[in-house]
Amino acid sequence: MMNNMRRGKMLAVASVMTAALGITTACSSGDTGSGASGSSSAAAEKITLTLQTFGGGTNFGYKAAVEKWNTEHPNVQVKYNNLTDSFENVYWPQMLQWLQSGTGAGDVVGIDEGGMGLAKARPQFFTDLGEYGLQSRQADFPAWKWENGVNSEGKLFALGTDVGGMSICYRTDLFKKAGLPTDRDEVGKLWSGGWEDFIKAGQQFQGKVKDAKFIDSINTIYNVVLSQEAAKNGNVTYFDKNQQLIVDKNPAVKTAFDLATKMSGSGLTAKLQNFTDGWNTGFVKSQFATLGCPGWMLGVVSGTAGDEFKGKWDVATVPGGGGNWGGSWLAVPKQSKHPKEAAELASYLTSPEAQLLAFKEGGNLPSTIPAQDNPELQSATNEYFNNAPIGKIFGPSIKSLQPIFLGEKHAQVKREVEQVLNGTEQGSVPADQAWQKFVEAGQKAAG
Amino acid sequence: MTAITQAGPARRSGARSKRDPFRATPLTKVALGFTVLLSIFPIYWMVIIASRTNRDAVDVPPPLLPGGNLGENVQRVLNTEDAHFITGLVNSLIVTSTVTFSVVIISTFAGFAFARLHFRGRNLLLGSILITMMVPLQQMGIVPLYQLMVSLGWVGTLKAVILPYLLNGFGVFMMTQYTDQAVPDELVEAARVDGASTMRIWWNVILPAVRPGMAVLALQTFMLNWNEFMWPLIVLSPENPTVQVSISFLTAAHSTDYVLIFTGTALSVLPLVIVFVAFGRQIVGGLMEGAVKA
Amino acid sequence: MSVNLHTQRADPAPPPPRPGRHQSRSRRRFWSQLDLKAAPYFLISPYFLLFAIFGLFPLIFTFWVSLQDYGLAGGDASFTGLENYSKLLADSDFWNAVVNTVGIFILATVPQLVLALMLANALNKRLRGRLFFRLGVLVPLVTSVVAVAIVFTQLYGRDFGLINWLLEFVGVEQHIDWQSAKWSSWIAIATMVDWRWTGYNAIIYLAGMQTIPKDLYEAASIDGASPRRQFWQITLPMIRPTIIFTVFVSTIGGLTLFAEPVMFASNRMDGGATGQFQTIAMYIVEQAFRNFDYGYAAAAAWLLFVLILLGVGINYLFIRRIGGAK
Repeated sequence: MMNNMRRGKMLAVASVMTAALGITTACSSGDTGSGASGSSSAAAEKITLTLQTFGGGTNFGYKAAVEKWNTEHPNVQVKYNNLTDSFENVYWPQMLQWLQSGTGAGDVVGIDEGGMGLAKARPQFFTDLGEYGLQSRQADFPAWKWENGVNSEGKLFALGTDVGGMSICYRTDLFKKAGLPTDRDEVGKLWSGGWEDFIKAGQQFQGKVKDAKFIDSINTIYNVVLSQEAAKNGNVTYFDKNQQLIVDKNPAVKTAFDLATKMSGSGLTAKLQNFTDGWNTGFVKSQFATLGCPGWMLGVVSGTAGDEFKGKWDVATVPGGGGNWGGSWLAVPKQSKHPKEAAELASYLTSPEAQLLAFKEGGNLPSTIPAQDNPELQSATNEYFNNAPIGKIFGPSIKSLQPIFLGEKHAQVKREVEQVLNGTEQGSVPADQAWQKFVEAGQKAAG
Repeated sequence: MTAITQAGPARRSGARSKRDPFRATPLTKVALGFTVLLSIFPIYWMVIIASRTNRDAVDVPPPLLPGGNLGENVQRVLNTEDAHFITGLVNSLIVTSTVTFSVVIISTFAGFAFARLHFRGRNLLLGSILITMMVPLQQMGIVPLYQLMVSLGWVGTLKAVILPYLLNGFGVFMMTQYTDQAVPDELVEAARVDGASTMRIWWNVILPAVRPGMAVLALQTFMLNWNEFMWPLIVLSPENPTVQVSISFLTAAHSTDYVLIFTGTALSVLPLVIVFVAFGRQIVGGLMEGAVKA
Repeated sequence: MSVNLHTQRADPAPPPPRPGRHQSRSRRRFWSQLDLKAAPYFLISPYFLLFAIFGLFPLIFTFWVSLQDYGLAGGDASFTGLENYSKLLADSDFWNAVVNTVGIFILATVPQLVLALMLANALNKRLRGRLFFRLGVLVPLVTSVVAVAIVFTQLYGRDFGLINWLLEFVGVEQHIDWQSAKWSSWIAIATMVDWRWTGYNAIIYLAGMQTIPKDLYEAASIDGASPRRQFWQITLPMIRPTIIFTVFVSTIGGLTLFAEPVMFASNRMDGGATGQFQTIAMYIVEQAFRNFDYGYAAAAAWLLFVLILLGVGINYLFIRRIGGAK
């Protein structure tokens, strides 16, 4: 939280105060804080590990995997807390605060790709997983996924969970209503010519359907296009590999911005910012017909829309080529009182076996090579999505996915520029000033 | 305590002439009825949603009558482990009671000293309290307070949300005013002549006389502290929250589950509402008496 | 509740019996003298001791922190003097938060106090079931602030909220996205504040009104003054101290508004896409605990304090005029 010098001063002040407090009040009785429990040295004792993640629906897809762990490890029980839908806006800032203050973070915590830049630059926050022998996992991962879990001091601090991939999720019933094809191959062909085709399909849809929009929100579609365009522009988005802000110079950003604002401007979006209450309700109230779907998004959709819409969703290929949006890592904060067991848990959850469980539950694409090669994955279908052969849809591209470089302040910049996008969509940012405000917001957040 | 509500000017008025300015016109009654309706509606609606399903919650038109899922929903809230709802309720009770007790005692002490004792620097010190009443301490000092809690290792503990609230300039000010009005100087002097020590006077003379004021202060402190949000949100963790923080985490983690959120919200509100209805007469009476005297 | 403490202090209480200077030998005498001299300080010491730790220290330390520049989340800090202040004064986001805070405050407080006065006047009439009415208007106070915000946020929902549904009946066909514009979000938040506090203020006013001697009204009635005139000429001036008190409390509450807008923004600190309803308190938390710029947040905290002093001062002058100077 503070540099050492300040910390020393604060401690001195604090100790004087504690003494003073001892005289005036004796009300530590209310303390039921977590600080009291002893160390983990007694291994036979039953311990509880807290696993903290983020994301809507069944993002991460850890329910089955955690249940399995809990039955196999009666003495190390896992409490699974999915804290919030929103990574940049709620989860990550709070996590950083807990990491700094030394209390509040779980024993194993999920980190989105957008937070990894900063996490790597703050070795003081996380346990060195190498100490617990997890260096041995290296062979399981593609080089880029592994290397992103190595911090600025060269220590392994995080293991990869899933990778992004890209597809379009769509509502067959709404497509039918609009007179569009419903079969996933035909739907894919509908926009095989690229995003302009997608927009055309959208206009056709909007011509027939009035009570729903074609696309969920400007920021989902923006992220889809950005991930595709980044792959074409040196795999960078807001920062170049020297941590310099290039939000105004990177053609990938401008292309994604233009395309997203165009779709929103032509009335194709439901104007529901993703990972908010309104967006969640939008699933239940059928307010939109498509959204960009990386693998993990399948779990968000099924978990948010619920059983009522089972079979009404399907998955088609994405216009504009492959992209890699999202994908996360698991790390063990230094403050964990049971780092050994936590490291074990992190390793288990990122094991090929658990990744396949998560894939079945939420659709999260495994990041380990053995899981990716598993025939079970290749032949997998997803019941919720009308038995779509997601193994076939995502499988071929999964190995060719390119890692996108994300700067230390990526999450900060992403949060701010996407707010401008939302403002543009809602009308509080005038369209002609949108790009300028977008760039300014990015510069301010990076500054 | 209830005397004041009874003895309004209306009661005493015998004349029912046309000119009687205290006659309630039908319009007044309708307006009052409407106001009460508006006051109750959101609480009512909270219970309605809590008794229904998620699908109903986003219906148009919105549901206005209770459904049959209340019991099940309550069960679900209590079973939602990551909300730590019960912990939150218990924590809030601990924090709020401790804070209320301390504020009342500290304020009664200081109020006695400022109103009835004579010492050097009295006006200066009292003036300084009046000025500090304007400082929103937990907001202004949020950064250093947080750093202080980090240094003490108190982040995430209840100490962090109790100690900064133990001082309350408003409480001292109010008890000073109240003591000044409720305890005649002669009473203190008489006790002095009888040889009573200051603390004995506080116990035997002051305390019985200012009890209604203490009750009002307790009530206000309790309600303010129960609702404290910003500082607990910053300094507590989801595992060990106060009830407000618990609900806020509930909304963050289960944003699709309106019914769960509303049931949790209703559960957090109902204890206070029940207390309020049960002791309504005393609370209103006490509040009004405290308002006049202080 | 009156704030004119100083006028009450004006007539000094009879001086304490001063013990003679010539020393008495009895121990009792010594103790009683010590008691007389020391006890007052003992009685006020808990307050001031706590104040030193949790009041004075944070204030001074806030100033010290505000002179530093902190790196993002765990980065190092460096001394930058008053730079945070000059940056802040030129920061349009900060001023946006100031404007929002003041705007919501005015939108919430003025109708609130006016309604409370009318409500108190109505409650002061002779009517059946007065306890019911009094309890009825007071019940919002015992709900929790987060609960209120959650319920109202749902009521103000864009697509499925009760309020937009009701507005359809009066011809507002286009659903209002309450969060998206300044005016609509301000109104929504102001109503949350009003709903919770109007009844409370009404009860406080009512208490004040009931201390007004009835003869005054009777005399006025005989003179032919209308109830409206009586309200302006008698009621309002007589409860001026109470009004000052409520304005004072509402000002501090309004300028530090936090929970309602935060819940209205789904737990976020930014107050909407373009910060339409970000208040200063949210701004401070955003800077301190979202961007981890402690120094900047501390500087903003000091400016908030200045704003409160200004607000209280302006209000005080304003109310003094309204009530008719005595």
